[in-house]
Amino acid sequence: MRPILLQGHERSLTQIKFNAEGDLLFSCSKDHIINVWFSHNGERLGTYDGHNGTVWTIDVDSQSRFLVSGSADNQLRLWNVANGKCLYVWEFPTAVKRVAFNDDDESVVCITEQRMGHQGAIRVFKINRDGDGTDQPSEPEYMFNPVGSKATVCAFTYTPNLILTGHESGKVALFDIVTGSEVENNERAHMDTVTDLQLSPDRSYFLTSSKDKTARLHDTKTLRVLKTYTTETPLNSASLAPNRPYVLLGGGQEAMQVTTTSLRQGKFETRFWHKVLEEEVGRVKGHFGPINTIAVHPVGTCYASGGEDGFVRVHHFDESYFRAKPYGDLDIED
Amino acid sequence: MAAVGQPTISWPKTSWADDVDELDQTKGEDYVDEHGVRITVEYAINDEGKKIKITRKIQRVLQKSVVEHTVAERKKWPKFGQERGNKEGPDRATTTVGENVVLKMTAGNNVVCRLCKGDHFTAKCPYKDSLAGLETAELPSPDEFAPSAEAAPAASLGGKYVPPSMRAGARGAGESMGRPGGTGSREDLPTLRVTNISEETEENDLRELFGAFGRVARVYVGRDRETGVGKGFAFVSFDDKSIAQRAMDKLNGKGYDNLILSVQWSHFAEPRPDGR
Repeated sequence: MRPILLQGHERSLTQIKFNAEGDLLFSCSKDHIINVWFSHNGERLGTYDGHNGTVWTIDVDSQSRFLVSGSADNQLRLWNVANGKCLYVWEFPTAVKRVAFNDDDESVVCITEQRMGHQGAIRVFKINRDGDGTDQPSEPEYMFNPVGSKATVCAFTYTPNLILTGHESGKVALFDIVTGSEVENNERAHMDTVTDLQLSPDRSYFLTSSKDKTARLHDTKTLRVLKTYTTETPLNSASLAPNRPYVLLGGGQEAMQVTTTSLRQGKFETRFWHKVLEEEVGRVKGHFGPINTIAVHPVGTCYASGGEDGFVRVHHFDESYFRAKPYGDLDIED
Repeated sequence: MAAVGQPTISWPKTSWADDVDELDQTKGEDYVDEHGVRITVEYAINDEGKKIKITRKIQRVLQKSVVEHTVAERKKWPKFGQERGNKEGPDRATTTVGENVVLKMTAGNNVVCRLCKGDHFTAKCPYKDSLAGLETAELPSPDEFAPSAEAAPAASLGGKYVPPSMRAGARGAGESMGRPGGTGSREDLPTLRVTNISEETEENDLRELFGAFGRVARVYVGRDRETGVGKGFAFVSFDDKSIAQRAMDKLNGKGYDNLILSVQWSHFAEPRPDGR
């Protein structure tokens, strides 16, 4: 397969995301802009300009109407997907590290960093979908400060008012946003920072990646670890391939160590692991630096990876990918 | 030759350096035939300086796919932000197509047994005992490390340059200054190549093991330059050839550190014995 290289960013990528139908691909990076691309040919539809710092995170609602973004300029912004207009800006004392929509698009959860004497906070905003979207409540609907290790990633579960969080210590937890209390936790889910958390389409299980060189599949209700994928490199992102029993893992050594270690230890490939049998089944090379973020098309026909090198590579799978049966006729229904 | 195809059109020369480029400006053709196939003919000069004709036939097939209504709507959205006003279609500045990459989905593609080619480590091979013996029996002397006499005349037939030392009838490589000690000392010693030793094996361990047969002149253990971990091979030199022969007969195929040693005669034919 020939990847499409998207060169819309001048600095390393922080997150990429497909919309619900998979025709649009959103990417954000440390160079302050957010890009949106057509995934089928790599054409850039537009940019969302306005942030004044590293854009750490983005999420798009299921109707592709609103986009939220969190940035190091301490702002959370709501955008109109269609025309790139900024609809609303929320200001915080510290940087926004992660945002996520819930499944009915009515709430947004965001994590702000623990910095400069301010505690790390999780806030949930109600999104007013009436009108043009500029009339948003300025105050969060719920807000709480998780105690202990700071949260790095979060997502809504299917259960109302429950969110999943991944923490710097490697902890994975379930929080009730109304009371702010920890409902369930798994302190030893990972041994190091959780770097990414992506849910399955039905949100019944989720995949986390960590600096401890493993990715793990967890049950959403009990947080029990279902599967473990152990690699030899710190992982920055992990994604589930819909319709095929694979998980995609991306990582590589820390960016600051790239020049001090030899090239063959780089390991900048996207790794395909079998979701159930926990074995590596394939690799895709390409990036010149660690892979920071991976996203798979919701139908599973292509995937994109964003790297520390500033490139987004969109790979449309060949026919052979869909026909391949690495374990013979043993196939897992998804 | 290129000089024959002088262009009929002439334009003012800007620089003497353009001279060469002008020669291959012969106009190609570009038309669409009755089947709708676009044919492009170009002329170029290849690496050997010969003029070549490149004909490309491109047939465009319209592929229709059914997409959701919302997706079709979005394709008509006008561009915005930094793309405002740009025309439809991917822009070369931001979108390019990369080199072909291969994704092969195979199970257990990392590990191949050296003995039976199965998907397990060589150490865990179920045929380890029977096949390991066969492997060494087939190779009384390690030919892969010596420049074979048969290969050299064959190579000279292909029209390639063959250095005198490699030609048929030559007496082997000439003198070399590359190695410390010169050709007089180290290489003359009968040396055994010991492979399949564990990573932790030290020089002293091998000295002890091979010392049982006679005086060991020198032991070298191959190590990774960065990590210092053993790479699984070593060279052991003896003073006397018959002792070396005896050590080889006794130790080849014997177990050591849970691994089965492979002991062969060593040939300093290649500068890097581990093939790197």
